[in-house]
Amino acid sequence: MRRLLALWEKEYLALSRDVLGIAVLFLMPAAFIVVMSLALSDVFRGGSALRTEFAVMAADPKLAGRLVQSLSGDGFRAAPAPADEAAAREGVRRGTPSLVLIVPRDFERALAAPLDAGRAPPELRLLADPALPPTQLLAFRQRVLGVALGLRVSSLMRRAGIAAGADALELKRAAILNVETIGRIARPSSVQQNVPAWLIFGMFFVVMPISSLFVVERREGTLARLVSLRVPFSMLLLGKVGPYFVVNLAQAALMLLAGLTLVPWFGGETLALPARWDLLAAVTACTSFCAIGWGLFVAVCSRTLEQATVIGGVGNILAAAVGGIMVPRFVMPEAMQKLSEASPMAWALDGFHAVILRQGGAADIAAPCAKLLALAAVLLAAALWVHHRRRVLTSAQ
Amino acid sequence: MGTLSLEGVSFRYPGRSETVLDQITLAVPAGGIFGLLGPNGAGKTTLISILAGQLRGATGKISADDEPLEALRRRRPHSLGLVPQEYAFYPMLSCAENLRFFGAMQGLAGARLKERVAAAAAFARIESALARRAGRLSGGLKRRLNLAIGLLGEPQILLLDEPTVGVDPQSRCFLLESIRSLAGAGRTIVYTSHYMEEIEAICDRVAIIDHGRVLVSGALSEVIRGGSGLEERFMQLTQRSLRD
Repeated sequence: MRRLLALWEKEYLALSRDVLGIAVLFLMPAAFIVVMSLALSDVFRGGSALRTEFAVMAADPKLAGRLVQSLSGDGFRAAPAPADEAAAREGVRRGTPSLVLIVPRDFERALAAPLDAGRAPPELRLLADPALPPTQLLAFRQRVLGVALGLRVSSLMRRAGIAAGADALELKRAAILNVETIGRIARPSSVQQNVPAWLIFGMFFVVMPISSLFVVERREGTLARLVSLRVPFSMLLLGKVGPYFVVNLAQAALMLLAGLTLVPWFGGETLALPARWDLLAAVTACTSFCAIGWGLFVAVCSRTLEQATVIGGVGNILAAAVGGIMVPRFVMPEAMQKLSEASPMAWALDGFHAVILRQGGAADIAAPCAKLLALAAVLLAAALWVHHRRRVLTSAQ
Repeated sequence: MGTLSLEGVSFRYPGRSETVLDQITLAVPAGGIFGLLGPNGAGKTTLISILAGQLRGATGKISADDEPLEALRRRRPHSLGLVPQEYAFYPMLSCAENLRFFGAMQGLAGARLKERVAAAAAFARIESALARRAGRLSGGLKRRLNLAIGLLGEPQILLLDEPTVGVDPQSRCFLLESIRSLAGAGRTIVYTSHYMEEIEAICDRVAIIDHGRVLVSGALSEVIRGGSGLEERFMQLTQRSLRD
């Protein structure tokens, strides 16, 4: 135990004197949390936060006004109507406005015509900016059809002698729809997605100091000297676990603090804290063990600093890209979502979301934690095996 | 501690066909300094690594006082000390922190650790540099720190792998005198170097190895008998062709 404590103290001293390494471990994830929480806040809020401009071109100014009124709101904002279709096309090409609805001259009369199976419904044209998110385009399209249906029903009712204004038939007025997100269908807000995501990313970056110091120890003969002192290699690896576990815990505390203070200070949302701190600690610990295991494996496999940097850095970025750290998994196509299940960062994110976002219990974090611990054990065993293979040598005879 | 004996020691790295050490047989008596010479790639560092327990898989017999070396190291882990040719310490730690760390790794603690750190620092004359970062020391001080770390556990067998590389004449002179005094205390010392004048100055016995084989071994006076010096004898035995 005394030797293990000496190893931990050495690692702590070496790390504390590596200012750049400390900066990477703490400032990098904090910066990502603030920047990405602010940058993606509208995406996570959904349609209500997006302000897509649209214009309506109709010969009848009264109809145009009614359409503008019905189509505005919930993320869509009316812009002045272009002078003609050419101006509308040019505007949409530039993205201002993103959408232009062109209503034909006899549209209202066509709506009032009796429904007939052989008759084509009246035609509307929508000019759309190709850069517009497909979900926004779909939402606007549904909204236009809804308004058109309201106009048709209103017209039919008038013909039948039933008094009903078109406003009364608006979809928004059909009923009050309260949406309540429950359990697993909940989507994270920007800050709740980004704090755990970039915390995990930062935690896995311990691979850099672990592997680079290990390569230096090997290159400088320090490891050889320790082996000649009969220090077991497993103890040398364990000597890295304690200090970096503390580093990971400090990262977690500081990143949660950044979500509570820094992000709202810059105008973003405040991180909602979990009810179960013990579960948060458990997920953090399991993530840390997995990150350290990965660091030790890269350290033992790398022969040079360059190898350690490339394997560790690229491995982390790939795992982050696939694992929903950089792009939330719910916006990924199904195949990518399947692939993301192979990333340990995705397991960690599942664990953090279960605690922070869904206020889940022990059963909800059991699977991600078990996967993280299993991978940590496999990586540690693999590191020992690689070292053993390099040291157990064939005899000459 | 008596003689360190190697009988028919052979070794090759896994996946490679060439034998790095081929039937090495040597006797290294206690109380003297045994010079191990050879051109680059001769097998010196591999032999030192095997003796230090860094490489396993060698065949043959290695014993100290008729006890297998591995058994001795299991029984008394710090009976063997290594001063490698690299600066095998932590550059970001101070000299004192390095000495305390390597002392602790040898099981030293408390007053005994303090005592051994002070003694090793005094022996290597690095007391004035104890608070300085090891990475910022001069080449001579680094070599002296390297030696001090190797002496912390008071090893009976000391392996010195090119311990004077890159130092000024003053530091070299000091290191050689210090090593000589260690041998006087009854230790078994194996010393490798490319500097023939160093070997001639401090070694009692030498062995010249090349291509993993012992070319000559014996008392220094016997090895250089009839020649004009150790360097000429070395060149005669190992030829003038350049080594990769």
